[in-house]
Amino acid sequence: MPSAAALRLEIERTMEHRFPAALTPVPKTIREVVQTGIASVDALLEGGLPVGAISEVIGPESSGRTSLTLAFLAKRTEAEQVCAWVDAGDTFDPESAAASGVSLKQLLWVRCRREREMIKVKPWTRLDQALRATDLLLQAGGFAAIVLDLGDMEPEHAMRIPLATWFRFRQAADRNRCSLVVLGKTAYAQSGAEVVLESMPFSPEIVGGTVWRGCMFAVGRKRQRFTQFSAGVRKPPASTWSADAAWEPGRSA
Amino acid sequence: MIGELYACVHAAEFPAQALLRLRTDLQSQPVAVLDGPVSQETICSLNRHAVRRGAALGMTKLEAEGLYGLRLLPRSTEVETAANTVFLECAAMFSPRIEEVSEGTACALALDIAGTERLFGPSEKLSVRLRDEMATAGFRASIAVSANFHAARMKATAARGITIIAAGEEARSLEKLHISALNLTDEHKETFALWGIRTLGELAALPEVELVKRLGAAASNWRALAHGVARHTFQPIEPEFALKEFYDFETPVEQMDSLLFIGARMIDCLVARAAGRALSLASLTVDMELEGGRVHHLVIRPAVPSIDRKFLLKLLQLEIGAHPPQSAVVSLTLSAEAGQSSKVQLGLFAPQMPEPSRLDVTLARLKAIVGEDRVGSPVLEDTHRPGSFCMEGFVVGAKSSGSKAERSRMALRRVRPPRPVRVATHVMKPVAFSDGGSRFEIEAAYGPWKTSGFWWSLDGWDTEEWDALAVSNNGEKFGCLLVLDRLRNEWRLEAFYD
Repeated sequence: MPSAAALRLEIERTMEHRFPAALTPVPKTIREVVQTGIASVDALLEGGLPVGAISEVIGPESSGRTSLTLAFLAKRTEAEQVCAWVDAGDTFDPESAAASGVSLKQLLWVRCRREREMIKVKPWTRLDQALRATDLLLQAGGFAAIVLDLGDMEPEHAMRIPLATWFRFRQAADRNRCSLVVLGKTAYAQSGAEVVLESMPFSPEIVGGTVWRGCMFAVGRKRQRFTQFSAGVRKPPASTWSADAAWEPGRSA
Repeated sequence: MIGELYACVHAAEFPAQALLRLRTDLQSQPVAVLDGPVSQETICSLNRHAVRRGAALGMTKLEAEGLYGLRLLPRSTEVETAANTVFLECAAMFSPRIEEVSEGTACALALDIAGTERLFGPSEKLSVRLRDEMATAGFRASIAVSANFHAARMKATAARGITIIAAGEEARSLEKLHISALNLTDEHKETFALWGIRTLGELAALPEVELVKRLGAAASNWRALAHGVARHTFQPIEPEFALKEFYDFETPVEQMDSLLFIGARMIDCLVARAAGRALSLASLTVDMELEGGRVHHLVIRPAVPSIDRKFLLKLLQLEIGAHPPQSAVVSLTLSAEAGQSSKVQLGLFAPQMPEPSRLDVTLARLKAIVGEDRVGSPVLEDTHRPGSFCMEGFVVGAKSSGSKAERSRMALRRVRPPRPVRVATHVMKPVAFSDGGSRFEIEAAYGPWKTSGFWWSLDGWDTEEWDALAVSNNGEKFGCLLVLDRLRNEWRLEAFYD
């Protein structure tokens, strides 16, 4: 009686012209991930955002993109690592970051200048400045996470970023073990991104009709490379998470 | 007991050497240095290429201009002082006991090198290293080593290259030197010329008693000098350690490339001198004298003291690029502050951090892109004024300042500058607003949250904040922060919740 291994080899050899290695499981690519600090999002992402890759957090205004990214940065700075926030629209709020637990001393904030303010410096657009700054930071290395904030950038402008730029960023991020998070209204990096998280509009939590206590956000996984294929799932996975207002005292998670 | 041993290092034509050491492009060209009052300038120093072209000391400017290809430079005492300091620094690397024996336009130093064999090897090796060190600093010098101070001094002045005079061989080594090496007065030179005495060897052969009878007591010292047995009391100087380089341009310089060309050479010299003392450059101060007498002042402070010349040059380039001088540069001074060399020991499991020196260059490049005040770490100010913060320089290794948040928080995205909006109110509550182009209905508004402060100064504020849930014309919902400035009685859109 032939052994199981010999039998498998025979079947594989027979089907070789149609399926190479038909009965051998496909090797799984395991990527290093870091937690975002939000349990439901981590569960959705099977661990967290990837290290050495581009992640995109997309959605309209008030969909929780920034809160989610700040929660992720808070985790990174908590681990004594340094991060950078490349702010194309100059919209970053240090008070919100501090309230989210980000150590501001470990955060490099690059505030891109509006075109009309650029009298002495080079006349680059804000998008140009942001891309150049991100490039420099990625090449310098040593940053655990870099956020490229294009949240206020109109998609018709940001969509013009060449795909080659995203591939270069991905390679540099991979080389330096850096998580590059791109905030935007829609996905820009296309196949350059390893994870695309889509944030949905929110529902507020109100107390007594006078105080805005927090928000409930929905988030969906729009794209994730190297994920295990599961035959039963049709819809892209999604989840919800909540964020407290900055003035709200801490509640148990 | 250790016997006496001296090394004398002699740099002839020092005014020319001082000017040329930073100008590598001129070192292979005939160059003469002019000195004296205007219209009476004469050549006071020149290089060997200029001698080959027919230039000579004392030649007037008009005569010198007649020589084809001869570059004429004005003498600069500041450059010579800076060069003299560097010359002394180089010598101080081999002996702490140094006496200055400069004469005329030459710069000469005598080093007491007795007992340095175990450090630098025999005299031959020390001389070669000393010559190489001088050459690295941009000086061409002759060196003589002898157990007799004066023998070393006179031989270094007269001979080129390296001369080692063995003990007891001083008289034979000096016998061919011209008698002018003794610094005689014109009267005595004439007397010796009448006697037919031209060299030290001929002077040494004269009987001492008869010589003293005819020329006085000084003759005994000359004879001892000629024999290489004259005594000398060593008078060491104490070199002051100052990292400073100066260059006076021939013509005002406007292009940054030209400034960096000289700046690179200056940094090389500063780095070499600091490294010679196991130090690094902690800061670099650049003073550019501009046309019109103004001084353009720049300070470069690397995150960690460094002797990496490429890195320092890049910082200099970026700093000059960010703060260019407003007019042409007449002279350039680079002074450095020495610091301890830093050693960063990275652990295998240490957290990933940017390399400090590389980060410096990155930050300088970022500042060149977005502006000086727009790169750094935000620091919250100790005030109740909403949205107040200031920027601080980003430093790697700063201790964690954040408090651990147990739950995620709603973040704001600021609108800078705040956008003025027109708000419609009903029963003192905002119900709609428009920003000029679009109108937004407010589904719910929570507030007002009143804050005020600094009422006693012009910088005061008095605001009402409203958290509003707004809907745009196309049905998109968003949360925003509307602020009523009660002092100016105007509404502003300050931020979006995201």
